Amino acid sequence: MTTSLLEASHIYAGYGEVPVLRDITVHVGAGEAVGMFGPNGHGKTTLLRTISGLLRPSNGTVHFDGDDVTIAKPSDIVGRGLVHAQQGNMLFGDMGVAETLELAAFKPRARAGAKAALERVYALFPRLAERRKQLARTLSGGERQMLSIGCALMCAPRLLLLDEPTLGLSPRLKEELAVAIGEIHESGIPLILVEQDVEFLLSLTDRLYLVEHGEVAREIDQASAPDHQEIMDMYFGTAAT
Amino acid sequence: MTETLIATIVSGLLLGSLYALMASGLSLVWTTLGVFNFAHGALMTFGAFVAWTVAEAWGLGLLAGAVAGVGAAALAGVLIELLLVRPFYGHRNMLLITVMTTLAAMIILQNGAQVIWGARLKQLPPIVEGNVSIFGAVVSAHEALIIVIAPLVLLLLWWFASTTRTGRSLRAVGQNQDSAALIGIDVPRAFSLAFGLSAALAGLTGVLLGSIRFITPSLGAEPLVKAMIVVIFGGLGSLGASAGAAFVIGMLEAFLVLWLGLYWTPSILFLLLILVLVFRPNGLFGRANA
Amino acid sequence: MTRTRIAAILVAFALLALVPLVVTDSYVRHLFIIAFIYAVVASNWDLSLGYTGLFNFGHLTFFGVGVYTAAILAETVELSPWAAILCGGITAALAALLISAPVARLKGIYVVLVTFAFSQLAMQVVLSQSDITGGAEGIVRIPYLQVGDYRFIRDYNLAYYYTAFAMLCVSTVFLLAVVASPFGKSLRALRDNPDYAASRGISVARQRIMSLVLSAVFTGIAGGFYAIYLRVASPEVFGFGTLSLALSMVLIGGVGTIIGPVLAALFLTFLTEAMAGIRGLEDARFIVVALAMILVLRLAPGGSIEMLSRLRLGAGFRSRRETTDTAGNRS
Ligand SMILES: Nc1ncnc2c1ncn2[C@@H]1O[C@H](COP(=O)(O)OP(=O)(O)O)[C@@H](O)[C@H]1O
Ligand SMILES: [Mg+2]
Repeated sequence: MTTSLLEASHIYAGYGEVPVLRDITVHVGAGEAVGMFGPNGHGKTTLLRTISGLLRPSNGTVHFDGDDVTIAKPSDIVGRGLVHAQQGNMLFGDMGVAETLELAAFKPRARAGAKAALERVYALFPRLAERRKQLARTLSGGERQMLSIGCALMCAPRLLLLDEPTLGLSPRLKEELAVAIGEIHESGIPLILVEQDVEFLLSLTDRLYLVEHGEVAREIDQASAPDHQEIMDMYFGTAAT
Repeated sequence: MTETLIATIVSGLLLGSLYALMASGLSLVWTTLGVFNFAHGALMTFGAFVAWTVAEAWGLGLLAGAVAGVGAAALAGVLIELLLVRPFYGHRNMLLITVMTTLAAMIILQNGAQVIWGARLKQLPPIVEGNVSIFGAVVSAHEALIIVIAPLVLLLLWWFASTTRTGRSLRAVGQNQDSAALIGIDVPRAFSLAFGLSAALAGLTGVLLGSIRFITPSLGAEPLVKAMIVVIFGGLGSLGASAGAAFVIGMLEAFLVLWLGLYWTPSILFLLLILVLVFRPNGLFGRANA
Repeated sequence: MTRTRIAAILVAFALLALVPLVVTDSYVRHLFIIAFIYAVVASNWDLSLGYTGLFNFGHLTFFGVGVYTAAILAETVELSPWAAILCGGITAALAALLISAPVARLKGIYVVLVTFAFSQLAMQVVLSQSDITGGAEGIVRIPYLQVGDYRFIRDYNLAYYYTAFAMLCVSTVFLLAVVASPFGKSLRALRDNPDYAASRGISVARQRIMSLVLSAVFTGIAGGFYAIYLRVASPEVFGFGTLSLALSMVLIGGVGTIIGPVLAALFLTFLTEAMAGIRGLEDARFIVVALAMILVLRLAPGGSIEMLSRLRLGAGFRSRRETTDTAGNRS
């Protein structure tokens, strides 16, 4: 398994004394787009926070590009190109769109290509370009998600973790974001995409993890998988709440 | 008549400058870490004492003294953050606990200064000798210099926070720590930097004040209280509002002294504070959740 | 409160009542008297700070108001010192009412700033109104307490000792009664779960006003007694030194315990007085108090009482540490 770009093995983590993740193992191969779904509150966000260094696991290891980053600082992990766009991210409420994006190219590696990256973000999300001066806290939900993804792109990602980027958005906006995410992946950036909507994931990713009770309940490879409908049945069969 | 008026305005500007320097340091730490630093006034005193030791006791001159004073205060600020604030990040009572630990730091610095430097009155020489005349009113050149330096320092601070990468990163940390970390900002380092910078401002204030007042262990107590009143009026959340409030309070104080004299000024200021708070609990310029 | 705890408290107070039989030295009795005064101040502070969860840093204002009320009434107006002391309680309660008007509506750090600024401005007012307050020199040679012809200073402070002790007893019983009352329970409910309490119709503003005023009464009386006993009133009572000493008593004794601060007051008064007697340590004693405060906050944010009960529970201490560690930002 040394060919994997990201390898999170046997992770245990939680908040205080409450365990959330129990021996979860996931990996992402070079160039891969991996989906992650499962019922609310079962640890998807916690896993991403552990991978990006915001949380320290009580057990298990995280390897990125062959290096052990389990106890690295979040700022160092970003520097390596492992970039996390948080769920429901408010970013910096009192900063403008352009200012936020410029600041997001913070690490030296990202700064080098900041100009091109900024143009790319504005091409991908023309709405952001129209709102350069607007403060983040006055943006709509969809625009906020675009800014959040835009910020992640400014960090020169070599692997992108997207946590429910379409949460609470209208079907039209969701479609818009799906196209953008597809383009990002096609440009060669591997990603982990967390979503509730399995159809959305199936159209964008090659492989899926079903996360339940802090562990991988099922791994689905689209190449050898049953058709969409069966996956849907599987999901709603096991996780109906 | 006009001379008294101008002298009063100058005195108001001087007080305002002093309060603005203090309040902006408090506001910098508050907006970045959500900590109110009670030791801010004591850091100012510490800076003044170190400057005096280097400049006067060792005879190395005022410039060396000023640099040493500002540097020592900054170092002390960084240590306070490291030892007394950092262990409590994320604690559910962090606000209250850090008020108490920084209060303890103030006691230690103030009594430490008493032990090291004693109670004998000390004073720094003025940066510039002599007097200047402003529209007929005669002011000491040193005081005139303070009135010029303070707004410049505040402008510099504003420029730093709004345009430089490091300054922006401090604001980002203040608004969202997790998001700041996830774009690559080293959050603990930003905390140290904010505390160090704020303490350096306190040290600078101490050096400036050290030649117009006597340097005693309690030199910083009164300016701290005035800066607190300033941030009560202006809110802690923004540099501009606290600087504005500082000059309003400074001017108000100067004119109250002119009209009512020293006897009544503190009581009237006190009354005004209570009145304003009853009608505007978030301060004159404060936003609801500043 | 458990029955053993009540028994322990009763035994402790009974022992304090017997102290003068053993201790006849007037200086040691003086230390006890000062400790009793501080105990009243610290335990009443605990009502607003610990029980109500109100970030009140102006508690010493109430003490200072009591000091100056008694001093001015007894010295300038020549009221009986007894009445002057009681008036200290009334004016302190009025001061609490005044400050609670804005404080009832403020949040978080602004409560700290406003209450603290209140105490500092009170000091400025006292300093500037020198015609009435004596300014920086204060008021001296205040009339002493006496009953008939018996002056309280006689018999090595014996009468002062028992007066101070009685004051502490009444104040403590009062505080424990407040805490045990339905009002006290609602205070805790509000502190521990503001949203729930608000939904049950408990008014934050009313609770804060009540708790500040109640905590001011005996603090003001203690201030009045302090002025009459020492026969001086000086602006120092508003200063950082007094504040930090009283705060360290609340913290080291244990926030939200009432009895803890009483015990800590006894302990710390003797400790700091002992250090004041050692040459070279006069100025360092407040440093030691501040360091102790920091240590308590680092090791046991609840104070020594909590620390003791944790030692008995064993594992409790460690689990709390882990919670804070993981909740803390490691970024
Ligand atoms: N900051 C936190 N403190 C305590 N518990 C939390 C915190 N964040 C999340 N949790 C708990 O951790 C569990 C997993 O949450 P999360 O990882 O957000 O799930 P998901 O992203 O799959 O919806 C939930 O039970 C949630 O309540
Ligand atoms: Mg989630």
